[in-house]
Amino acid sequence: MKSGDSTTINVPPESSAVSKGKAPLLPVAAGPASSGGWKKGIAIFDFILRLFAMVAALAAAAAMGTSDETLPLFTQFFQFQASYDDLPTFQFFVIAMALVAGYLLLSLPFSIVTIVRPFAAGPRILLLVLDTVALTLTTAAGGAAAAIVYLAHNGNSNTNWMAICQQYGDFCQKVSGAVVGSLIAAMLFVFLVVLSAMALRRI
Amino acid sequence: MKAGAALDVGGASKMPTTGISRGVSALGFILRVLAFICTLGSAIAMGTTNETLPFFTRFIRFRAEYDDLPTFTFFVAANGVVSGYLILSLPFSIFHIMRSAAQNSRIVLVIFDTIMLALLTAGASASAAIVYLAHKGNTKTNWFAICQQFNSFCKRISGSLIGSFGGILLFILIILLAAIALSRR
Repeated sequence: MKSGDSTTINVPPESSAVSKGKAPLLPVAAGPASSGGWKKGIAIFDFILRLFAMVAALAAAAAMGTSDETLPLFTQFFQFQASYDDLPTFQFFVIAMALVAGYLLLSLPFSIVTIVRPFAAGPRILLLVLDTVALTLTTAAGGAAAAIVYLAHNGNSNTNWMAICQQYGDFCQKVSGAVVGSLIAAMLFVFLVVLSAMALRRI
Repeated sequence: MKAGAALDVGGASKMPTTGISRGVSALGFILRVLAFICTLGSAIAMGTTNETLPFFTRFIRFRAEYDDLPTFTFFVAANGVVSGYLILSLPFSIFHIMRSAAQNSRIVLVIFDTIMLALLTAGASASAAIVYLAHKGNTKTNWFAICQQFNSFCKRISGSLIGSFGGILLFILIILLAAIALSRR
């Protein structure tokens, strides 16, 4: 019965040292400590990327929101003005980037929770889903504004749409910079989603 | 005897977990097939637009095609790339149904799914902005609403957006299911 089938439970104390040398239990005991450090590193990197993405989203919203330009020439009846709320797509852009920046600010506590508790899967899955939705919103705002900015730079001869950038230079520059900022935020979101997926692995 | 009993207990608790994991992977496979249909339909619907107005002057014909606007060309290309990727990822999805413990290949699939989601959303939102302009025009920039002349072209480009946005929603669900399958013990 002692040396029969069971090796780990019915072993006498003097051979338990031998069984410790064989180490059937040691990997399980040392596993959580080592993989916890790895997951913690991912969570810290996630937090830093979140900060950068928040700065990028806020900068994009601010650049688009303050993009008013008034041309120095005017006629007797009206002035030549360009602002972001002349185009509904740019209005959507400002609102969407502000929402995304607010979401990133509110998700910072959840990111800190994943740093403190590396093995909790709940906050990670929640962050992954919300990050995917925020990625979609950011890319939608950036893509739509990029289409309008492309039109403003190049115009379109087939539809008789004139390139307004030739007149409104400053407005165009600010708006293009805002689009670049939002696409940087989208790329950071892709990294955030991938990091959350990698940290969800069960080890 | 005790070790044998421990093994039995371990085996019984693993079975329902494997069953749920298989169900999640199977649902992901079905969503992938649906997303393929959606994006392929969108690409074809946008790519076969061609409307010629019944009147013409001596010098120009009034014609509207999807490649008159570079944004629509990008839309067709993005939807084509995403539907091609979905077809190529179906074998991996089947492999995940069969072997629920695969982790590295699931993560690779999540990486590519996220990139494809971003590409699809960029194409869909850019052409949504152009379709909105085509419907409403813009008085401040003197951009004329072309939908008033090209009716069936307008309907076709608006309808092809639906498949693309459906594909976006399905991609979000696919990524969520992959995350659930990754985190199950």
